Amino acid sequence: MADSGSPDSEPTTRTLLRRVLDTADPSTPRRPRSARAGAQRALLETPSSRRLSSQTKTTARRRSQRIRSIGKLAHVQASGYLEEQTPRTLLKNILLTAPESSIVMPKSVVKPGPAPQVVQPSSRESSRGSLELQLPELEPPTTLAPGLLAPGRRKQRLRLSVFQEGMDKGLPLSQESRGNADASSLTSSLNLTFATPLQPQSVQRPGLARRPPTRRAVDVGAFLQDLRDTSLALAPPGESLTAPVATLPTDTVLEDTQPFSQPLVGRSPSVHHSLPCPSHSGAEDAERAVSHRTRSTGPRLQNNSPGKPAQLLAGKAEVDALAMNFPNTSSSIFGEVGVEPLQDGVGGEAEERTEKSLSMSKVKEAARARGSARAQEPEGHTQVTEAEGSQGAIETKEPEGSSGDCPTSSRRVSPELASSTPEFLQAKRIQGLEPAPPPSTAVLPSEPLEPLSARLPPRARTPGPKACQNPYKTGLSHYAKLFSFYAKMPMEKKALEMVEKCLDKYFQHLCDDLEMFAAHAGRKTVRPEDLELLMRRQGLVTDQVSLHVLVERHLPLEYRQLLIPCAFSGNSVFPAQ
Amino acid sequence: MVLSTTVSQRKHIKRKAPRGFLKRVFKRQKPHLRLETSGDLLMHLNCLLFVHRLAEESRTNACENKCGIIKKEHVLAAAKVILKKSRGS
Repeated sequence: MADSGSPDSEPTTRTLLRRVLDTADPSTPRRPRSARAGAQRALLETPSSRRLSSQTKTTARRRSQRIRSIGKLAHVQASGYLEEQTPRTLLKNILLTAPESSIVMPKSVVKPGPAPQVVQPSSRESSRGSLELQLPELEPPTTLAPGLLAPGRRKQRLRLSVFQEGMDKGLPLSQESRGNADASSLTSSLNLTFATPLQPQSVQRPGLARRPPTRRAVDVGAFLQDLRDTSLALAPPGESLTAPVATLPTDTVLEDTQPFSQPLVGRSPSVHHSLPCPSHSGAEDAERAVSHRTRSTGPRLQNNSPGKPAQLLAGKAEVDALAMNFPNTSSSIFGEVGVEPLQDGVGGEAEERTEKSLSMSKVKEAARARGSARAQEPEGHTQVTEAEGSQGAIETKEPEGSSGDCPTSSRRVSPELASSTPEFLQAKRIQGLEPAPPPSTAVLPSEPLEPLSARLPPRARTPGPKACQNPYKTGLSHYAKLFSFYAKMPMEKKALEMVEKCLDKYFQHLCDDLEMFAAHAGRKTVRPEDLELLMRRQGLVTDQVSLHVLVERHLPLEYRQLLIPCAFSGNSVFPAQ
Repeated sequence: MVLSTTVSQRKHIKRKAPRGFLKRVFKRQKPHLRLETSGDLLMHLNCLLFVHRLAEESRTNACENKCGIIKKEHVLAAAKVILKKSRGS
């Protein structure tokens, strides 16, 4: 009964346990509960006994044992651990649950040569449903308990995957002597058996195979051309500050952009917005814009950094580059954009607009700043230091990125503008900014309020006169209208006045009755019960017609909910009784 | 509140109860008494039913007299009957 095959060479715990279990007396002398399991075992053992002669008995036994254990496990699971924890069951559970690394029975190579090895893998394969290398001897055992094998198959498949992984990773399991060759052959065989099903899909249907998406290199020229086209469509054809567009200096330092600095955040939208707004005249414009973005981000970064001289230098370099590269309307518009925020009033408006819509603001600013741009050009050198100092202040001040856009765009702008103009612009911008927000905010809310106030007075007039004069009469007239509604016939006005008199009398009677009922109940508060009693005495509420029925008939839903107690979720009743 | 959808008499009848009006009326009449919250709704219901009965009676009177319109006499006669009926005591 001992395993005479390869397992002997591998003294793993698993195999040892198996051996123990195999050799041990399968029938536990114990409980009747295990009779079922014992019967199962007996059933399974019959095939195993048949195979005693052949060397397949080990695998068969293993399989049977596995089946048994599986069956037992299923049985246990089904019965809820009827069997007590015997050493046997414990070992079996261990064998079941523990990862079967040794199962690698790697020796189970599917070679036609060594019979036991062939037998094992082939049997295993057959048991798992793999079909390619089945030896005829093994088929009967596999067919013996197909149903039992089915659940086991899943587990075995899982284990096989583990096993395969192990094989692939080259687990240093035993049987290396044989294992290597066996493993390789086994893996190859296994690959044949298990891996091949995957391949044919792609081989047979190449269309299904996943290909990496072909990525074309972005054609910058085409991209810029598209930008230009869109900008041409959008921007007004104003061209004041055009300068010959030179190719961007390749020596421009394109520094890394800090993705989370505010000005950058503000910049990117501004860049995008500003790009379409002005009209680009050439491909270089777009290139310049792109480079501007990166470049201005660079100096932007520097602005944020404490190094101010670096800022100045960077700004100057940028402006120089701008001056060189500046093409045409785009630049002019940029300049205008930058210039506008400088002016006090204009800056405020720019603020407003940026709040509303960046693109719109850019266009307007551009239109405005055109005239001022030139005027501002000669200035600036003296303002450089101011601008520098203000730069950091501006950036820190501006909560919005849009505000950051203005200085950046302004900086980008002026080709003709002196290098200091951007800083100058920024300096002016600070002045413009502070008064800007309050007036802008004041302007904005006032606009919507005015039309509303104009509308309100006419509305208030209509319900005015009667209500104010005689609220009592108003209430009565309300019921008089209801009277005419119920009557469904035309009425004289005198009749309506008569109705109002009747109502007056009615109210008096009503209050007297309620007081009487409340006093009869010893209360000073009139309660709904008094009302119900009144209605009963009036003949409105009868044994056939209850108060709730009347409420439902004549009152709208909202009042009904208040009057009739209804159960709600959470074991609550409203209104509470 | 709910407005009557059927514009039978080219008027919009409000279904809203004049709760403030009712409360004020009660307070004026019986200042020493208090009225509960749901009480005024039931008061309104009571008024509705009263007016309804009054209108029915007036219409009946007018129809008996074969008048196309409700006149003061009809209303008066109807009121006498209905008020008698509506007395609690």
